[in-house]
Amino acid sequence: MKEDAFLRGILSIHRGIDSESDDPCFAEAREKAESDPILGQWWAQEKELDRVIGSKLASVHLPAGLKARLISRPTLPARPRPAWTRAALLAAACLVALAVLFGSWRGPFQPAVSLADYRDEMVGFIKVDPNLEMKSPDLAQVTDWLQKNRAPSRLNLPKNLQGLEPIGCRTLRFRGRDVALICFKRKEGSLLHLFVIDRAALPEMAKSSGPEISREGNWMAAGWGDGDEFYLITVQGDRQAIEAYLSDT
Amino acid sequence: MAEVDFEKLVEEFYMPLYRFALSLSRNESDAFDFTQQTFYAWAAKGHQLRDTSKVKTWLFTTLYREFLAKKRRDERFVDVEEDVVFAEPPQISPSVINEIDATIVQEALHRLDERYRAPLTLFYMEEHSYREIAEILSLPLGTVMSRISRGKAELRRQLSDLAAEESRKILPLKGDAR
Repeated sequence: MKEDAFLRGILSIHRGIDSESDDPCFAEAREKAESDPILGQWWAQEKELDRVIGSKLASVHLPAGLKARLISRPTLPARPRPAWTRAALLAAACLVALAVLFGSWRGPFQPAVSLADYRDEMVGFIKVDPNLEMKSPDLAQVTDWLQKNRAPSRLNLPKNLQGLEPIGCRTLRFRGRDVALICFKRKEGSLLHLFVIDRAALPEMAKSSGPEISREGNWMAAGWGDGDEFYLITVQGDRQAIEAYLSDT
Repeated sequence: MAEVDFEKLVEEFYMPLYRFALSLSRNESDAFDFTQQTFYAWAAKGHQLRDTSKVKTWLFTTLYREFLAKKRRDERFVDVEEDVVFAEPPQISPSVINEIDATIVQEALHRLDERYRAPLTLFYMEEHSYREIAEILSLPLGTVMSRISRGKAELRRQLSDLAAEESRKILPLKGDAR
């Protein structure tokens, strides 16, 4: 009886996964479970119970924009590359150049991203008030800071948007690209978030000109391309609320 | 070792790392900080790791050390060795667990002593072998197994208690009162 309790104790922590298959401690208990139907059934129930508990824990809610926050780390100093790495990079660059020359290169290394991917990730990020890396009510200071931090800083905004006072900014990363986030104070007291990214990051928007407006919950988003930049603004409210910032009148 | 793309690394590990951090800290804000510090540590020191197959263990070990460092700053932390014991966990029906949501399971886990919470979380993730769990937590293999065994028993007691508490919260409708 005592041995049975010990066996059940061992089996209760044996998940039956590959990494445990060779463990002699588990192997002996497993053999017993395979030859004893009652013990075998008990172990099967245990594993089912663990699977259910594990799946509940895996479905624990993650904060909105968690990934984008983690990726938006400060820029770290570059490590010196050894000479052989430089040579390898040069060789790789030559290969890419040749591939382009002979038309065999199929495009960017990463799969194309859609505006929806970008918009969802950015809206997810600001659902929790973002920490700003730089605070200033002066837009020139804000764009200066962005430029120094190698984020998009050239702004060509509709007049109604230019009329808003900024409160600060920060940088983010999206699929390997720098994104500038500038937060503006709206008259009603809530915030307008402006994201600016290199237009090349969103190839599907390369030829689009007019703003594309969409809703996500109680957030409205509008995205448009202008020159080399792609702009995305988000506000809480209805379509009218966001359209007010898109016009020049 | 070969360069590991930072964004891909975050993409692959941020969810299990955050969940592990949440189970340790029991606090969303601290969980975020521990996860972020772990990725910072990777960005600063990850290149020193020679074996790419160890990246996952390295990240979890680093996160756990960050947690222990903070814990030691916050309180005097004494870790005592214990005997290796395998206990049969108390019975609880899967149907009871099915009726409980993720928040309650998490709450039950958060009620456990940290010495059980950490190995049990890694156990349920099914992403690590026992040897990796022992390495992450810097504990002997037998101690890890023993803590998981005791932790499971304690978790089930907590789940039963919470399920009972939840059922008491269901009040009769006013129209039923006489």
